[in-house]
Amino acid sequence: MALVPITILLPILAGALLFALPRADRTLSRTIGTLVAIATIAMLVAAGTHEWSVHWLSRPFAAAFHFGATPFSFWLALLLALCTACAIPATRVARARDFIALVLMLEGTMLGLFLARDLLVFALFWDLMLIPVFFGLLGWGEHPVTAWRYFIYNFAGGLTLLLATAAFGVIYGSTDVIGRSVTPLVGAWAPWIFAGFAVAFLVKTPVWPLHTWMPPTYSGLPAPMVAVVSAVQSKAGLYGLIAITLALLPDYLRAYAEPLIVLAAISLIYGAVIALVQNDAKRIVAYSSLSHLGLIVIAIASRNPLALKGALVYIVAHGLFSAALFLVLGYIEEREDSRSLLRLGGLGWKNPRLAGALCIAALAALGLPGLAGFVGELVILIGVYQAGYVWPVIVALIAIVIASAYMIRLYQDLMNGPEVADVPVRADLTWLEGLAVAPLLVALIALGVDPAPLLRL
Amino acid sequence: MMAAPLINYVALAAVMFFIGVAGVIVRRNPLVMLMSIELMFNAANLLFIAFARAWLQNVGHIFAFLVITVAAAEAAIGLAIIVTTFRPQRYVDVDEVRALHG
Amino acid sequence: MHHALGVAGSYPLLVALWLLPLAGAVIAWALGPQLRTLAGWLVAGVVGISFFLALLSWGAGTQQAGDALGAHQVLGTWMPGFDFGLLLDPLSLIWTFIITGVGFLIVLYSVGYMEGDRAYARFFAYMSFFIFAMLTLVLSDNFIGLLVGWGLVGLASYFLIGFWFERPTAVAAARKAFVINVVGDVGIMFAIFLIVANVHSIGFGDAFAAAGSWAAPLIFAICVALFIGAAAKSAQVPLHTWLPDAMEGPTPVSALIHAATMVTAGVYLVARCAPLWSHSAQAQLLVGTVGGVTALAGAILGTAQWDIKRILAYSTMSQIGYMIMGVGVGAYEGGVAHFFTHAFFKAQLFLTSGLVIHALANEQDVRQMGGLWKKMPFAFWAMLTGVLSICGVPGFSGFFSKDQVIYGALVHGHPWLYAVGIVTAGITAYYMFRLLFVAFLGEYRGKLDTSHLHLPGWVMNLPVGILVVPSVAIGGALMFGGESSPWAHFFAPLFGQVSAAATAAAPPISEGMTSAIVFALVIVGFAVAWYRYARPEVQQDAVARLRGEAEHMPAILTNRFYVDEIIEFLFVKPARRLGLFFGRVLDPHVLDGAVRELVYWAGWGGAVVRSFQTGFVRAYALILFFGAACFIVYYAIAAGAAH
Repeated sequence: MALVPITILLPILAGALLFALPRADRTLSRTIGTLVAIATIAMLVAAGTHEWSVHWLSRPFAAAFHFGATPFSFWLALLLALCTACAIPATRVARARDFIALVLMLEGTMLGLFLARDLLVFALFWDLMLIPVFFGLLGWGEHPVTAWRYFIYNFAGGLTLLLATAAFGVIYGSTDVIGRSVTPLVGAWAPWIFAGFAVAFLVKTPVWPLHTWMPPTYSGLPAPMVAVVSAVQSKAGLYGLIAITLALLPDYLRAYAEPLIVLAAISLIYGAVIALVQNDAKRIVAYSSLSHLGLIVIAIASRNPLALKGALVYIVAHGLFSAALFLVLGYIEEREDSRSLLRLGGLGWKNPRLAGALCIAALAALGLPGLAGFVGELVILIGVYQAGYVWPVIVALIAIVIASAYMIRLYQDLMNGPEVADVPVRADLTWLEGLAVAPLLVALIALGVDPAPLLRL
Repeated sequence: MMAAPLINYVALAAVMFFIGVAGVIVRRNPLVMLMSIELMFNAANLLFIAFARAWLQNVGHIFAFLVITVAAAEAAIGLAIIVTTFRPQRYVDVDEVRALHG
Repeated sequence: MHHALGVAGSYPLLVALWLLPLAGAVIAWALGPQLRTLAGWLVAGVVGISFFLALLSWGAGTQQAGDALGAHQVLGTWMPGFDFGLLLDPLSLIWTFIITGVGFLIVLYSVGYMEGDRAYARFFAYMSFFIFAMLTLVLSDNFIGLLVGWGLVGLASYFLIGFWFERPTAVAAARKAFVINVVGDVGIMFAIFLIVANVHSIGFGDAFAAAGSWAAPLIFAICVALFIGAAAKSAQVPLHTWLPDAMEGPTPVSALIHAATMVTAGVYLVARCAPLWSHSAQAQLLVGTVGGVTALAGAILGTAQWDIKRILAYSTMSQIGYMIMGVGVGAYEGGVAHFFTHAFFKAQLFLTSGLVIHALANEQDVRQMGGLWKKMPFAFWAMLTGVLSICGVPGFSGFFSKDQVIYGALVHGHPWLYAVGIVTAGITAYYMFRLLFVAFLGEYRGKLDTSHLHLPGWVMNLPVGILVVPSVAIGGALMFGGESSPWAHFFAPLFGQVSAAATAAAPPISEGMTSAIVFALVIVGFAVAWYRYARPEVQQDAVARLRGEAEHMPAILTNRFYVDEIIEFLFVKPARRLGLFFGRVLDPHVLDGAVRELVYWAGWGGAVVRSFQTGFVRAYALILFFGAACFIVYYAIAAGAAH
């Protein structure tokens, strides 16, 4: 079904065409960007799990431009499209046209990644999706060093991914394997292939100690782009772990489950305690991501079916609440010219809607029962416990307690307390901004009450 | 048709090639250097044709055409670089250009 | 024994009484600025309707069919084994009555108490949301639904403690309450992992049915994990420190959430999971002991407070200790009975203190009160009846329930807890009468002009007046007559077998004798309080005496047994230190430092290689040809060698 490649190409081409628009017209760029993002959602839903394939290589191994959502990647693609559609409408950065063009290209390349059914195409889009973020960091970030740090770290991951893909293709004979039932790969090369995949995915997620590119990237990028990057791009690694490592090399995932779980558990606690003492609001969320995604890595490494179901729920939930958190923090930063917890305070009185949005997102992030994050955490931990890993469960529970402390601190230090006099107060959330975060918050509540569609997989 | 022995072609090509080498190394005028490079290309072309004739395979001819095409493209780019590099100056001397200094 | 399975069916009333408060909350929150004072009446109406529906559901909640008891309504499912539904049986029915009934009165009271507040509508939205959450907690038929309610009441409590969020103390108190309650949530989560791993279901019924076949360590672990949740929510030692701080919230909040309903969720949990506890004597001993210790500790700390709401907060902690002790040792009807009467008299005490605080322009220090019985006779009589009830003076409601708990400890074989219960009753009488005497007797010691007190209107007095009736009489009406009382009959289908198992041997002391001992100690407590605070000689120099008492208060009491400091030292500080070490040393210098080191050496290598790039174009050409020549020579030699 040709709709699938069109869905991928639409945002990329639209992004390229945006450069032809007048530079000064922010509203026009935002309107076009939003419409494209919404159209992408519609096309994704229409395409469903249809597939589309064109032959590419026959030697040294078979490869094809083969696209199409699996039931699992469908949710990721939908999450991506939703986050993009929510990120664009209220963008207020300088040079908005170029920025929105980059966000659209980011969406397109990541759609390519999630919809790719061929390893080689996956690896191709893996590298492509780094480029818009790199330029975003160069053009709108706080320091160019951050851009290079991001790019080199992730490109190194891309290199190991490419090498592993090539080795896999040569040995297996075909890379058109994602979402198919294949005989697991074994042999002398297999551990190295596993390592190549794992390094790429763990850098991207990230997992301790490969995470040091992440806090500056997340705090440096403007909110609309970091909402997409932290919500969805970080999930590329987790998606890879599930759709590639777990499917193609399950024996090695089992063999290396213990070290993976140890690293992920370190991420869990490490991110949590650092988030506890950060004063930069965006960095708190960045380190909390390190912590939360560690939990998903534990789920994947445990290989328990229930934990994997929970992992999907938590992947979606984390996407929703981290996008919402970053968007709301972006709104605050635009209004108050600061995101320091030490400087801000008491915003809740004048900005009840902003406070409400931040509150729901923060509560989802700390795993409040009744919101989607809780479902993910709970189902993951039930599964991990069933798989026999008791100590990671206890570590995760401790991290949940710490998460409640830092998320409540984030919320209270911004919204509660006496109003800080020297903070410039601008109007509360506009209807456009409210409309942009509302779908994320509604989805968090809806999936928290009834996650059955995600658990049915 | 009376064909000269293959060694003659090889010898001629070697001479042309080393003239070209000497030109690139010794001359400081980039235009002359470019012409010397052409000379080396043509030495290679000559060998392609000669061996193709000798071994009755026309792959060599095809390669010769490819080389001519590439050489033309290279000359165009080379001349463009020379023009832009030396436009501010009134003379051309490659030793004066140190933009490639590491 | 019933395994918490109701008669399956469709109960629209049940669903309505559950969801109405949520609707009220959403409307009050969304339309708050437009509704203004209507928001209060709206929420009061909604909760009142919920209470009415709860009354109508009496028949459904008490029906019996074979093994099934109560009403069961299916809601939905997440996946196999994760089914959700509502369960209304005698236990949840009692809680629903209190939540909606007492809740209605307190919301009504709030309409007056919160008048003129900057965020009036928001307050009622939170209150309504709390009632919805609490109903979710007690009506769920499974552990995850219970946990959802558990978390949501914690959230509502957080919002309402920090309601006046311009006050840093309120913000800090809210944060503390939330985090400690998450510790409890996590305990319940762990219990869920254990249960689901063993029965592959989250339903109460499945877990209770399977409990008999589980190994003792497993049941003990489940009970301990559940009890962590119960202890955090019900302010049991050592997770109690948030409750006194929670008094930062408006007084109606203290009455509803931090006295009558939410803090008793732990009692509900233990009573609900009675089939688990009945299989683990160690778990019963643990819970009973923690309850006893909490009862005693709360009472002792209550003697050293000056803030009227903190005195009541410690008394709440102490009384919940009684309840936990009761349900812990296996005296389920007794523990639940004490919850039931406590809800009335403690709500009444808090609301009465609210009348005083309201009248005295937010003064909460009893040293700044005095002589109020003349200015506010209604408040005095309301406070007096509440005090008599909480002290367990025979005839009052508190007497019937408290003695059930104390005697229950003896019946179930815990003489030490029995003794603790009796001693605590004496201390309770002392600090409650101390509160009454210092605040209401003698002369007024505050700075206000008492001729123009801001006396509350009917909307605040009426709920207090209504609450006086049950807090005086409901115990006598329902619980008089021991085994043959209506209360015992009501719970017999639920707890009958669980309790009966342990009552084989007759205890050495009879129930009447126990009541006599308790009453004697109550008299002693009263006498000491009278001697110290109410004698005519004492009242003449009350100001100086109270100041002296405050100065000579033992440090261990003013520092509340240093529990806050211990928690700070053991958990909070290490976590912060670790965070600072990771965030300021390990992350930027060691981990990122290693990466930067790699970058540095890569750059160094680049600098070395770069020095070959002279920029002298003809030199490049020469090197090129030299390299080519090397290759040619190498291959020529290699070819020669091959021949």
